[in-house]
Amino acid sequence: MDEFQEILQDFLVEAFELIEQLDQDLVELENNPDDLDLLNRIFRVAHTIKGSSSFLNFDILTELTHHMEDVLNKARKEELKVTPEVMDVVLPSIDMMKALLQLIRDTGTDKGDIVIEQIVKELDVISKGDAEPTPSEKAETPVEKSAGSEKNSNDAEKQGDYKDPLADEPELDYASMSDDEVEAEINRLIMKKQTVINTKKKEEKTKESTENEDSDHIEINMSATEEVSKEEKKTPAPVAKKASDNKKAPAVKSPPPVEQTIRVDVKRLDHLMNLIGELVLGKNRLMKINDDVEERYEGEEFLEELNQVVAMVSLVTTDLQIAVMKTRMLPIGKVFQKFPRMIRDLTRELSKKIDLQIEGEETELDKSIVEVIGDPLVHIIRNSCDHGIEMPADRTAKGKPEMGTINLKAYNEGNHIVVQITDDGKGLDPAGLKAHSIKKGILSEQEANSMSDKEAFALIFKPGFSTAAQVTNVSGRGVGMDVVKTNLEKLNGIIDIESDLGQFTTIKLKIPLTLAIIQALLIGVQEEYYAIPLASVLETVRITSDEIYTVENRQVLRLRDEVLSLVHIADIFDVERVFENHDHTYVVVLGLAEAKIGVIVDSLVGQEEIVIKNLGEYLKGMDGIAGATIRGDGGVTLIVDVAAVMHMAKDIKSQAVAIETVSSKPKNGPEDYTIMVVDDSKTDRKIMKSALKPLGVSIVEASDGVDALTKLKSGEYDIDGMMVDIEMPRMDGYQLATEIRKYNKYKGLPLMAVTSRNSKSDRMRGVEAGMSEYVTKPYSADYIGNVVRRNLGLE
Amino acid sequence: MSAKLQEVVNKQKDQKNDTGNDENQVLQLVGFVVGEEEFAIPILTIQEIIKPIEHTRVPRTPSHVLGVFNLRGSVIPLIDLRMKFGVPAIKTDDMRYIVLRDGEEIAGFVIDRLNQAIRIDRNKIDPAPEATTQEKSLIEGVGKQDDKIITILRVSKLLERDF
Repeated sequence: MDEFQEILQDFLVEAFELIEQLDQDLVELENNPDDLDLLNRIFRVAHTIKGSSSFLNFDILTELTHHMEDVLNKARKEELKVTPEVMDVVLPSIDMMKALLQLIRDTGTDKGDIVIEQIVKELDVISKGDAEPTPSEKAETPVEKSAGSEKNSNDAEKQGDYKDPLADEPELDYASMSDDEVEAEINRLIMKKQTVINTKKKEEKTKESTENEDSDHIEINMSATEEVSKEEKKTPAPVAKKASDNKKAPAVKSPPPVEQTIRVDVKRLDHLMNLIGELVLGKNRLMKINDDVEERYEGEEFLEELNQVVAMVSLVTTDLQIAVMKTRMLPIGKVFQKFPRMIRDLTRELSKKIDLQIEGEETELDKSIVEVIGDPLVHIIRNSCDHGIEMPADRTAKGKPEMGTINLKAYNEGNHIVVQITDDGKGLDPAGLKAHSIKKGILSEQEANSMSDKEAFALIFKPGFSTAAQVTNVSGRGVGMDVVKTNLEKLNGIIDIESDLGQFTTIKLKIPLTLAIIQALLIGVQEEYYAIPLASVLETVRITSDEIYTVENRQVLRLRDEVLSLVHIADIFDVERVFENHDHTYVVVLGLAEAKIGVIVDSLVGQEEIVIKNLGEYLKGMDGIAGATIRGDGGVTLIVDVAAVMHMAKDIKSQAVAIETVSSKPKNGPEDYTIMVVDDSKTDRKIMKSALKPLGVSIVEASDGVDALTKLKSGEYDIDGMMVDIEMPRMDGYQLATEIRKYNKYKGLPLMAVTSRNSKSDRMRGVEAGMSEYVTKPYSADYIGNVVRRNLGLE
Repeated sequence: MSAKLQEVVNKQKDQKNDTGNDENQVLQLVGFVVGEEEFAIPILTIQEIIKPIEHTRVPRTPSHVLGVFNLRGSVIPLIDLRMKFGVPAIKTDDMRYIVLRDGEEIAGFVIDRLNQAIRIDRNKIDPAPEATTQEKSLIEGVGKQDDKIITILRVSKLLERDF
């Protein structure tokens, strides 16, 4: 029983590895139907699986692979031409084979819900009925065929080398042979081929080398498909590619040296990684102690020795960490592999013409990340095919090439890897996206107006958003892009979208290289410290408190050409504010997935390498906390969950930086406050007055900017706040605000813009001019009451 | 040989059963004081007892969750039993953290002082009195010993997240 289990395990591991390569080969075969080498490889896979499964008594699987083998055998012997129609049967049968293998893996038997009769029948039609289509095809496409053989000059070469020695072989009925016999037959044919080849000289040598490379590549593939990836290893995909390239051009390269590989259980690697994590913490601690000792025993001789040892330990630890990280790395090509097949299926389903270009598949990523990145890519690529690339007719009408292109590219950028998906389809339309979101109720009209194009692009990640007019098999349910966002957040990744309407859409996924040990920015707030994953930190800026503005209850900062909403970390983590900070403060700009936010902190402590530890069952899933780490001094520091913090920030109302107006009289109640209402329309002033009445504050009126400024400067009234209209004769609201802010005395005076102008640029102008609040008309008395109360500190 | 081996194994088994029976009758507890009251916890659930060390506050938790602390490289939650039981927390030199473990779940609990190790006959333990409070399930039983009554706490319930 145990022995059987062991064999079964081996069989499954082998089968899955073979199949992974199979998909790629098959797609390639469709483009290159005469590639005998490919056909042989595919045939061998089907045959191996058939052989093992019959040995293990998986009758259904045996039956299926048996029929597949028949078809492939025909194709191999050129009795059958591989057309897309044939592939439409072969590919699903491979899928079914996969499903069967999965069933076996999960249940130990292939007797389940999977019905193979239909596909077997179709396979039979092809393998038996080939007599009919072949002549018709031949009659139909003699030109094409000759052109094809002309075009594939390498094929001619191959036929010369490969086919000829085998051509004189009697046609055997492989199906009726036992497995051993077939195996022997294959071996014999290979041997024969080899000997023929060996008799030839130069050309054959190069040929042989490609052959070697071929078998090598499978070998490598096998070792690479398992969880360990070796440092310095040539990744399988490029090798495969090179091998096929080499076949076209005469091979120059000598066969790569045989590499030694070893299979390791992932659990062991994980354990190793954990141990390294502990070592890193120990190293941090040691360095801290070293600093302390240095301070205390300055000038002592033994210090130098200690320094050396500490430096050595720290260096080796870092190297060790990198080495283990590298063992956990897998080429992203492992994820990319499935896309050619996916595109092929999609193009047929959607009747579009799409060419998939893959670059940088050798770029390496941590195994745990490779596992999570697959799904988002599937969704993005499906989306590009379905919504991005237009129908061939539309494309020609627009003067684009009929064949759409999707470019999938991976590359390293510092401590990140970037996966970039570009399609040359219809692009994203910001206005359309906004309109659609409003219709779906995801967005209010006001929000839409103040949105930049980039922000509008990000709308596609909102759950429930789908611009597809109808739900297709491929996409349009409005969940896919949400998955992209969620998975990227899990990885602390960043999403960036660029698009030009009618030209292209580029989605960039920026992902940190590893997850377990990360670089973090340590920040201080009051007497607490927090660690923010450096992957999510875009930049840090030092600002003074009067650079912070309040727009609609939110604190914002103008950073270069954009407005960043701010949140104080103390508000998120309920830190008691015992002492207020000085006039300057720090803002950490966080970016995650498609969003950005500024977090106000009291101090920046520095950058440190941290190991993520969870908080245990009892405190699992606390809002805003991703875990904890142990610092050099042995204390515990919490790690900020950037995604959660961004979410939480939305619910936190800004406590407007309390800036007291210089005032001589003590203020006991609302009646001691005076508000100036500046508006050129008497009616508007009247409305405002009645709205402010319930507050009980005193009111002074001014009919325009000049009037307001004179009244304010006269000192006749002790003004505590102003409601300012924007459009006024003589001096408008913006000018008025700018004038007022010129006086130090009025730096903190609340200026509340009240206007019907609500576009983003108007708001920006307001912020620039020095408005502390922006209220849009029409307003409710309650709302305006709250705004005034908050700005006067009456709450 | 195998017969002999079997014999030895059987013998050992018997011995084990003997002592097991004995142990099954007596429950070993560690008694401690929180506020005015004495509580006890089965000794096998205690991983260790340590003197108070520095801890880090975890935001957005109830007041009896003090935060987390570093126990030789592991981050462990710290819960103040005094706050949980509604007793004012006074800082004393006798204060200890008791680290309790139940399967995967682990946490440290702040107590006022340790009392003694207690051996108590199982049949002297009564089930928790039918109290109506929510604390009902927190009490595993009540042990009678000489002149006093000891409340035995249910560790699995203590380690259960209560917010």
